[in-house]
Amino acid sequence: MGSVYAPVRVSDQSFAFRSVRDEAEIAFEALRTILPPKKFFYPAKETILECDGDEVKEHIEVVEPFAVFGVHPCDLAGLNALDKIFLSTPQDSHYQRRRRAAFIIGLSCLPDKHCFCKAMKADAPGKGYDLFLTDLEDKYFVQVNNQEAFEFILSCKEFMHLASDQDNQGYKKFWNDRDSMFEHNFDSAQLPNLMDLGWDHPLWQELGERCLSCGNCTPVCPTCYCFDMTDVAMFNSEKVEAERQRVWDSCQFSGFAAVAGGENFRPGPVDRLKFWYRHKLHGFEDPIEIPSCVGCGRCTVSCPSGIDDLPGVIRILAGRPQLNLEGEIA
Amino acid sequence: MQIERRLPRIAVQGLTGCAGELLVILENLGSVLPFVQVASFPFAQSKNDLSDIDIAFVEGSVSQKHDIDSIKEIRARSKWLVAVGNCAVHGCVQSSTCSRYKAKELVEAVYAKDSPIEALDAKPLSSYVNVDVELSGCPIDKNQFLAVLASLLKDHLPYIIDRPVCLECKMRENGCVLIEKNLPCLGPVTAAGCGALCPSFEAACYGCFGPCKDPQLNAMATVLSEKGYNLSDILVRLGTFGIPEQVLSNLDVKR
Ligand code: SF4
Ligand code: SF4
Ligand code: SF4
Ligand code: SF4
Repeated sequence: MGSVYAPVRVSDQSFAFRSVRDEAEIAFEALRTILPPKKFFYPAKETILECDGDEVKEHIEVVEPFAVFGVHPCDLAGLNALDKIFLSTPQDSHYQRRRRAAFIIGLSCLPDKHCFCKAMKADAPGKGYDLFLTDLEDKYFVQVNNQEAFEFILSCKEFMHLASDQDNQGYKKFWNDRDSMFEHNFDSAQLPNLMDLGWDHPLWQELGERCLSCGNCTPVCPTCYCFDMTDVAMFNSEKVEAERQRVWDSCQFSGFAAVAGGENFRPGPVDRLKFWYRHKLHGFEDPIEIPSCVGCGRCTVSCPSGIDDLPGVIRILAGRPQLNLEGEIA
Repeated sequence: MQIERRLPRIAVQGLTGCAGELLVILENLGSVLPFVQVASFPFAQSKNDLSDIDIAFVEGSVSQKHDIDSIKEIRARSKWLVAVGNCAVHGCVQSSTCSRYKAKELVEAVYAKDSPIEALDAKPLSSYVNVDVELSGCPIDKNQFLAVLASLLKDHLPYIIDRPVCLECKMRENGCVLIEKNLPCLGPVTAAGCGALCPSFEAACYGCFGPCKDPQLNAMATVLSEKGYNLSDILVRLGTFGIPEQVLSNLDVKR
């Protein structure tokens, strides 16, 4: 049996997906974990190649089946975005092996003031899960997405009953009520235009001067996929071995856009912060049209300087800082 | 006839420092002995030969006349020179906030007027010689040391992380003590390598690996002063492990 991972409390305000053995360890109330579930598929550090002194070969990790419990809709959307990146041809076999081994159990949630997945169209459980549970207080409404999940359900029939009309009503009521709870409700279709118009806004300077370049905002993001490759020599019992490792990187670090000859396309925090906002809110002109933000609010709560406020920046760029942009952007 | 290949010769030398690095290296000597010959290590052995060195590890800052002679000699005799520890890399405590005082004043205060001690302003090795690899830490991390040695034995410049501690802190998924507890954590401006040790035990990083690449000190001081820390305390904290006094006295704190 592989491990089961679920959110557990790690500090006063924070949660993390950790391996659990008992229901009592699970923090069902966790809204956002420090790192999104991308860490299971695209780990912070992993070995890609290994060298035994003579021969270089691909490092192929044996991945045991595992389950991740408690994945909210924004994180499912984040995984779907990463799937587009890592599973487009040529596929990343390291990511694919782990993705295949995982059983994903989604869980409904209620937004707080930092959530804007609705505006980013990442608020409904679409695809990317095996089972999805909607919390109807005294029971869960279970959506089953594939054969494997169905077989799992059959294996624990004693806990299940077929959804009644009342259950269906309860499901609809939950998601309708939830829909009205979001504070941020702008039209994300306009974001690329807003970012283009605001390319030279004084805001970038103001925020960038406060940026620590600490990079906290990117590992926490469900869609950030940037990495660095390093060759690391190491002592083994008999001879020196080496590995090529893939390690998370961040566009907020000063070396990210440095090139040979000592030049740097984004030498200062102002350039880098603006670039980060642009990638999150505009996306790249990418053939697979990756949504670069799913509205999870992690960057906002993880920034020690308080400058990662995507909805706030959107309001300012839209020229209506005082308005709550219900449903539209000027 | 087969020519016997000699093992690469390493030297481990100390200038003005606390011997912290020497201890870390000594404690890990066992795992490297099959691969190297310890030609010189005055802290650990009595017979030392500082000639024809492949890799020299040097701890401590240059703060006395004879340190200058030593470091020049070591440089001339070694293929690779590795500065180990914050004193050798940044000058650390001796050069940072202490540089508010003149070396002469310090000597007079500590020893006596007209003392024969020739103290200089403490400087990192790179102020006097070319340094091939700089490994910071107070003291250094043993895994980083082993990785540096393994790499240089392959004549490969080692990768030493220059990102801030926050990256390692996030990888460990600690609750952020700067945000959650308002502790004066210097993780955002400090070089990683320790594995975010202090924040993993709910303590603030106090910068002991020295500054990360391109540290954003204005922003760091701004954030800390907004949390209510007093500017002179912030400067002492930032300066302790290697951010030079000249840099600190020119900070532009937005408040
Ligand atoms: S940019 Fe921020 S809010 Fe958007 S998905 Fe990334 S971490 Fe979440
Ligand atoms: S460029 Fe920056 S914002 Fe974009 S994916 Fe990479 S780390 Fe994230
Ligand atoms: S935006 Fe915030 S979290 Fe991101 S690098 Fe800057 S200070 Fe750090
Ligand atoms: S606790 Fe310190 S090192 Fe960790 S993320 Fe916060 S500021 Fe960075």
